[in-house]
Amino acid sequence: MTFLIRTIDITASGREIRRERLSEGLGLTVGRAAENDIHLPDLAVEQRHIGITLSKVGTLDIAALGTLGFGLDGRVVTQAAIDPATGGEIALGSARLAVIREGDAIAITISQIAADEGRGDVLRGFALASVLPSKRAMSWTFAGAILLVLLMLPVASHLLRTPARPDPTGRTPGVVLMDSAWSSGELSLKHQSLTENCESCHVAAFESVQDETCLSCHKDIGDHAPMGRLAKGSPALSPGDAIQWKIGQTLGKEGPLGCVACHSEHEGPVRAAAGNAAFCSDCHKDMNLRLTDTAIANAHDFGKGHPEFRPLYYASFGAAKPVRAAPGTKPVERSGLKFPHDVHMNKAGGAARMAVSLKQYGKPLECADCHVLAPDRISFREVKMEDACEGCHSLVSGRITGGGFSKLRHGDLKQLAADLAKVSAAPRPSLAPQRQRPGQLGSTAPSYRADFGRPVRAYIGISNALSAGGVCTECHLPTTGPSGQADLVPVNLPDRFLASGYFNHEAHKKQECSDCHAAGTSKAASDLLMPDLKSCRQCHLGAGATKTAKIVPSDCAMCHAYHLPAGQWQGLGQHKGPAPHYRPAPLAAATAAPARVAKVRN
Amino acid sequence: MTAGASRSRFREDETRRDSDHVSFLRHKRFRWAWAALALSLAAAAGYALIDQDPRPNGGSWYGYTLGTIGLGLILWLSLLGVRKRRINPGAWSLKAWTSAHVYLGLSLVVVGTLHTGFQIGWNVHSLAYVLMLLVIATGVYGVVAYTTLPARLSDNRREMTRAQMLDALTAIDRQLDGAAQPLARGEADLVLAALRQSPFAGGALARLTGRYPACQTARALAGMDTASEAQQRVRALLEKRAAQLAQIRGALRIQAALEVWLFLHITLTIALIAALSAHVISVFYYW
Repeated sequence: MTFLIRTIDITASGREIRRERLSEGLGLTVGRAAENDIHLPDLAVEQRHIGITLSKVGTLDIAALGTLGFGLDGRVVTQAAIDPATGGEIALGSARLAVIREGDAIAITISQIAADEGRGDVLRGFALASVLPSKRAMSWTFAGAILLVLLMLPVASHLLRTPARPDPTGRTPGVVLMDSAWSSGELSLKHQSLTENCESCHVAAFESVQDETCLSCHKDIGDHAPMGRLAKGSPALSPGDAIQWKIGQTLGKEGPLGCVACHSEHEGPVRAAAGNAAFCSDCHKDMNLRLTDTAIANAHDFGKGHPEFRPLYYASFGAAKPVRAAPGTKPVERSGLKFPHDVHMNKAGGAARMAVSLKQYGKPLECADCHVLAPDRISFREVKMEDACEGCHSLVSGRITGGGFSKLRHGDLKQLAADLAKVSAAPRPSLAPQRQRPGQLGSTAPSYRADFGRPVRAYIGISNALSAGGVCTECHLPTTGPSGQADLVPVNLPDRFLASGYFNHEAHKKQECSDCHAAGTSKAASDLLMPDLKSCRQCHLGAGATKTAKIVPSDCAMCHAYHLPAGQWQGLGQHKGPAPHYRPAPLAAATAAPARVAKVRN
Repeated sequence: MTAGASRSRFREDETRRDSDHVSFLRHKRFRWAWAALALSLAAAAGYALIDQDPRPNGGSWYGYTLGTIGLGLILWLSLLGVRKRRINPGAWSLKAWTSAHVYLGLSLVVVGTLHTGFQIGWNVHSLAYVLMLLVIATGVYGVVAYTTLPARLSDNRREMTRAQMLDALTAIDRQLDGAAQPLARGEADLVLAALRQSPFAGGALARLTGRYPACQTARALAGMDTASEAQQRVRALLEKRAAQLAQIRGALRIQAALEVWLFLHITLTIALIAALSAHVISVFYYW
């Protein structure tokens, strides 16, 4: 076997020197000693390091002759075989012996490599860091992007904007950029128009939403009670809440009685729920312990703990103001009217018969013929004599020449006197075409016949009309005026009898009026026909009651509102006109909101 | 030396030896695991028992409490990077610190989630929450990776160091260079492209998946004929090269799997601290 041993050396000037020699034999030895076939002057190489022999199958067997192994294709081994056709590379110290067949010979090319050139750097390639940006760069990039877009952008645009007034219509777009990313949840349904305009509520930086801001739109909202009374009447906060409010108030929050303490926003697209029974009973269950001077009785559950109703009524004739009934008493109402409900409601009585004969009724009188529900569905329209009574209690005084009838004006005694004088001054045409009997006025029909007094008594007619037996005193009570003249007791009826809660009549239209109001048996107008607590409790029990076909679990909010105890909140802008009757007059709406807040606080 | 002093020394040494060989997960009989469990249970019990009106959220007093605990924990946990660069012995050993880092970090899942009151949306607050969860998830992955992957890395080496793997490749490359001399232009170019491609070519994704679609060695193998003896020789060498590359790439893949979590963990942590700042400042800016 011929081995072609080729040595490649590089001179100091970089020139390559190749030397070739042939060696015949079955094998070779490689080592530092001079007697080896291949002599490598390298201290890392053993004296006799490896032996290369040609095996019978044609491969080259390489074996370490000493204790040190050798490198073959990068691996350190002590024994290996090389297929001369494919070849292999033996590493000994800094020498590399490339073994390969060239023609019939086996060429062994010896070259020197520079030891461990930049290996440390090369090994870094194994680290993932070599193909990724540095952690520091990535961290700064992400953190910077977050801080820029989600913090600096909103803050800068908030600080640089021109503050605008809150616009509940939602037509004014917000100018603060990216602050929608700050929203912790969707706004309630009624505030959806403000979604894009955060700064309409969040006015100043690091300042909680102020009551003043709420009141700039909710101008008509009523106050449950003055702030001082509210604070005194409220039960003690839990220790956690107390600490939170203390810190919050130190930092400018409105406190537990501010708007947002109850009206928590960003709670999703829902309608702000009315406070539950617990919300009310927190204070009202034992309020007399804290508000010792309060006139309001304790209440916590309609079925178990609710005071008797105390309807408003006029306790004396011509009183300036109504009073509330004392609990458990049977009030005598001094409305100044005579009106026996039983007479009018008796289906077989005279009033019923007359109503049947009249075109406008055609059947016996019903409650709704006089009492018409007001649009608020709570109270009733004022009963007007002209609409409700005059169909029967006619004030027709004569026939006018052009056709039709003249009638006495109702409501003002001076006008009545003038009309009566006119009746007496002119000959009166007959009221009906029928033949008249002497002394008989009006028609012979069985209808109601007014006694205006005889024409000859025209000038004392007014006195007669006002005195007992006269036309006026059929419904009114006679009295004498300051100068002794005949007069009538003024009519005094409250618009609402229950002023601290509301009763939705619409919701009870399946019931008969007389189920609650004992009008059918009331013989006098002095009966106050308001139902009592017991009759309500036949159906309504507290919020905790079990709902059945008959029992309606009823929480406080069914009859009481927080801000307007006497009426349901109708929504922003819909609540027009004066506050419900006989409540303390609301603070002037024109007063600036801050002044109102200050006033309520005191 | 007295017998007493000797015994004491022995005990000291034994303690040290024991502690040296106890994993940070089992440190001091799971001391921090119990602490984290207690914190989580206390937070959950408070959440269940304390009535928040109208619904639990981060703005109630309990929410603020949980938020403050969470923020403090996150800042402290992120200081592990500082602590591990300071070599100091004592009760606050790095192992204790790491043990606490892992278990208290896990308890943040409970504290953070309860702080949200389960209200998640597209906002900076939920961003911070999600980043926190991602940081914790990468941390959990890291603990698992550090327990399982080193063994695989060792298997893959088959008694070769990484330097030897590269040396082997270099040796094959030198032979390829010689063996390819007789080849025609086209095939010589294939070999040249394979030789010129760094064994580390391919991005992070290639390393993590082990797929190298742009591998020139594979292309050269596919394009190499076997007609002549030279071609056969080059082909055999290319196959050796591919096998050696596969080993290197195996090492790269395991190492990437071992290291990738820390990239995410650190990067997401810094992003989390940024999001947390935005969260806290925005909450009080629009109070």
